[in-house]
Amino acid sequence: DKWDMPMAYSGSNFHSVTGAEFAKCVTTGTGGDIEIVTHPSGSLFPGAQIKRAIQTGQVQIGERLLSGHQNEDPLFGVDSIPFLVSSFDEHAKLFEIAKPHLEELLATQNLTMVYSVPWPPQGLYFNKEVNSVADMEGVKFRSYNNATSRLAELTGMLPVTVEAAEISQAFATGVAESMVSSGATGYDRKVWESLSHFYEVDAWLPRNYIMVNSDVWNGTSEANQNVIKACGEIAEYAGTWRAKEYTGFTMAGLSAGGMEVGRAGDQLMGDLKAIGETMTAEWLEAAGATGQAIVDAYNAAE
Amino acid sequence: MTFLRLMRRGLDGLYLLSGILASLCLIAILSLIVIQMLARWTGEVFPGAPDYAGYAMAAASFLAFANALNRGSHIRVSILLNAVPDSVRRWLEIWCFGMGTAIMWYFVWYGQRFVYWSWKFNDVSQGQDKTPLWIPQGVMLFGAVVFAIALTDHLVHVIFKGDHRIQRDLADQSMGE
Amino acid sequence: MENLSIIILFLFVLFTLLGTGVWVGLALMGVAWVGMELFTTRPVGDVMLTTIWSASSSWTLTALPLFIWMGEILFRTRLSEDMFKGLSPWMARLPGGLVHTNIVGCTVFAAVSGSSAATLTTVGKMSIPELRKRNYPEKMIIGTLAGAATLGLMIPPSLTLIVYGVTINESITKLFFAGIVPGLVLATMFMGYVAIYSKLSKDWHPDAEPSMTLSEKLANSRFLIPVMLLITVVIGSMYLGYATATEAAAFGVIGSLLLAATQGSLTWPTFSESLMGATRTSAMIALILAGAAFLSLSMGFTGLPRGLADLIAGWELTRFELLMVLLVFYVILGCFLDGISSVVLTMAVVEPMVREAGIDLIWFGIFIVVVVEMAQITPPIGFNLFVLQGMTNHEMSYIARAAIPMFLIMVLMVFVLILVPDIATWLPENMRSGPG
Ligand code: NA
Ligand code: NA
Repeated sequence: DKWDMPMAYSGSNFHSVTGAEFAKCVTTGTGGDIEIVTHPSGSLFPGAQIKRAIQTGQVQIGERLLSGHQNEDPLFGVDSIPFLVSSFDEHAKLFEIAKPHLEELLATQNLTMVYSVPWPPQGLYFNKEVNSVADMEGVKFRSYNNATSRLAELTGMLPVTVEAAEISQAFATGVAESMVSSGATGYDRKVWESLSHFYEVDAWLPRNYIMVNSDVWNGTSEANQNVIKACGEIAEYAGTWRAKEYTGFTMAGLSAGGMEVGRAGDQLMGDLKAIGETMTAEWLEAAGATGQAIVDAYNAAE
Repeated sequence: MTFLRLMRRGLDGLYLLSGILASLCLIAILSLIVIQMLARWTGEVFPGAPDYAGYAMAAASFLAFANALNRGSHIRVSILLNAVPDSVRRWLEIWCFGMGTAIMWYFVWYGQRFVYWSWKFNDVSQGQDKTPLWIPQGVMLFGAVVFAIALTDHLVHVIFKGDHRIQRDLADQSMGE
Repeated sequence: MENLSIIILFLFVLFTLLGTGVWVGLALMGVAWVGMELFTTRPVGDVMLTTIWSASSSWTLTALPLFIWMGEILFRTRLSEDMFKGLSPWMARLPGGLVHTNIVGCTVFAAVSGSSAATLTTVGKMSIPELRKRNYPEKMIIGTLAGAATLGLMIPPSLTLIVYGVTINESITKLFFAGIVPGLVLATMFMGYVAIYSKLSKDWHPDAEPSMTLSEKLANSRFLIPVMLLITVVIGSMYLGYATATEAAAFGVIGSLLLAATQGSLTWPTFSESLMGATRTSAMIALILAGAAFLSLSMGFTGLPRGLADLIAGWELTRFELLMVLLVFYVILGCFLDGISSVVLTMAVVEPMVREAGIDLIWFGIFIVVVVEMAQITPPIGFNLFVLQGMTNHEMSYIARAAIPMFLIMVLMVFVLILVPDIATWLPENMRSGPG
């Protein structure tokens, strides 16, 4: 059986590399019973269409950033609540707690999760030194969804909508002066030509999820299911390791480009945590009992 | 006879109406983009503007397909069509409109499933607009239906009257090049 | 070997549908359907809908109808007469005389129009009768116009570049700026040819222009002010980063409406005709794009593009050899297909090849544009030939022959691009250091 696996990010991205290794692992492990063919760079389906394509059986398996689907169910945004977690380890803890709930939600959508790998933590980019939220007042901030708009509102910044493809130009021309994103975005877009500071605030760590259509999954022999699960575990471990490595690499890259890179000061971090509490509360309102259970369990484990 | 004439008028009205709706979508795109710029300059946000512009783009295209067909705007390679004698040409046209009709009704059939699923899954836009997607997709489906009807209309005409009803306008067609 | 049978099948179905006259967009859907039904087990209809919806509702695509609309409005104004009046006094003394108004006029109008045919009709409706009146050789009038009008595709805005950018997911603004210098270089090469021809040809004896003083020339140039303002607004707003390509297009539509209004040519009929015309033309392109999106998905499922890219990578062609292969391939394709169709039809296969070879995709966009420009003037299917046939009542073969020198100059342009790639890549790489 040939399984087509659409992936949204370019072939050289660490998620795609991890996916390609996973595909090879499954193909070898099942003795060619299941041959997974990856299609990176959105060459089959663009990111936004991948979940639905798996759901409706247009492809058997695929990778998607689930927080993109928050409008559908707030639970999909559990990995993107600002300032709830602040490191890879805390994030891993949150994910362990949320995982069964997510799997349950995905099951209602005819989806079975195989593995999931985080992106590097999201930090704040500025064109000036910032030591507190008060310093952010009036700064033009790139927003691309409801959460980032809200973040701008709560910090007193002016949200401006800038599409991913227009980032470099927006900063170069002063249409935007700040954004929240991983070190990778800034590194890829060479933002040091127009921005000066990157603060590692580890705002959140969104995750990519590899999911199989449940009908396909149930039609797969138990032996093969076990191979896929095992390959998934290896991929999740390898992918997470790569995410950490890549974080260090991009930080060094931003520094080399001439940016000030470092942890945020105590004042700034404290201010942001307070905003994080507000946004967590708002998320909980939308996410209901399940969301509450996850955050309670997480806080208890802290 | 009157029934046929009524149907003729009804169909022509449908194509025109759909074309006019398409042109209104074009005006909507222009307005959305201007409003978004004004919002940016004044420090306001207009959440979801790009998404709305995208829906209007799809609507403008699909609603105009039939009108564009009737005016000969859609591009086709007409070397063979122009080279063959009229009798052969008629069969060739039947083949072309037959293929077109089949492809578009196929599209419509899966289109209604597509829209139905969006509605059933409660598929909402991933952007800031949070639009239930069955609405803009429904407009696309409507345009596809009108286009499929128009192709069928021409097909029937070629079969019974010997020629289609397209008024070829080469200048119109070439504007896109 | 499986690849070979897939290729043969795809090509057979494609040529049958296209050749018999099925509309390009629908033909592409048909080919895609056959390919998926035969070579995959996936649900074809559902895949078709997902893909076509996602391709048709793209935000970046909205620049397309707006730039088309802008051209439609300007076509219905007095702009072409004004441009002729403003440009001709400056061209009269050059070797080659007023034939240069064809080229410079096209270059200027190309900066506000995204299409080659629109540039041709707008400039030609004034310059053809004026140049004939002055006894310029007919072949030169027709040939230079056919060739120079293709600059409409290279100098921004450009529908071909929008379609290319949307297809390969590159910044349209960058592509636009990549086209400026090559466009000007190509225009200069056309003008150089005219100058040389006028000196060497025996049948070159046009009527002399009455001489004008500098102040008279300057006074006549006031006719150029509106179009220059429009160019400044559209291109300047993009260059300075105040507007994306789509937003610049919106500026362009509003600007041309204002221009038409000040000229008194903005009536209800012209407004509604321009709007309906733009709606139809953009629908025409949208149908092709929809079909191409489905076809490229279908090919993606069969694994053909990657297979071919690997195959060609295996031949270990140098970059230059690969580009020569592509040049020949596109010139042949361009004889039968319009530019936009040949770009979208081939990108699924060509993009991975070009990436593999390490060719810059912005630069390649300009390469593609030159090749597509050639397609405009090669028979049997060349839109500029059609349009000129309609305007002048010449035989198509006559027009095509008149355009041969321009075709050769474009071939030369391809080599210039390969030798000096910087002329395409320098501006887009440096535009962000603009003020602001
Ligand atoms: Na142009
Ligand atoms: Na041609």
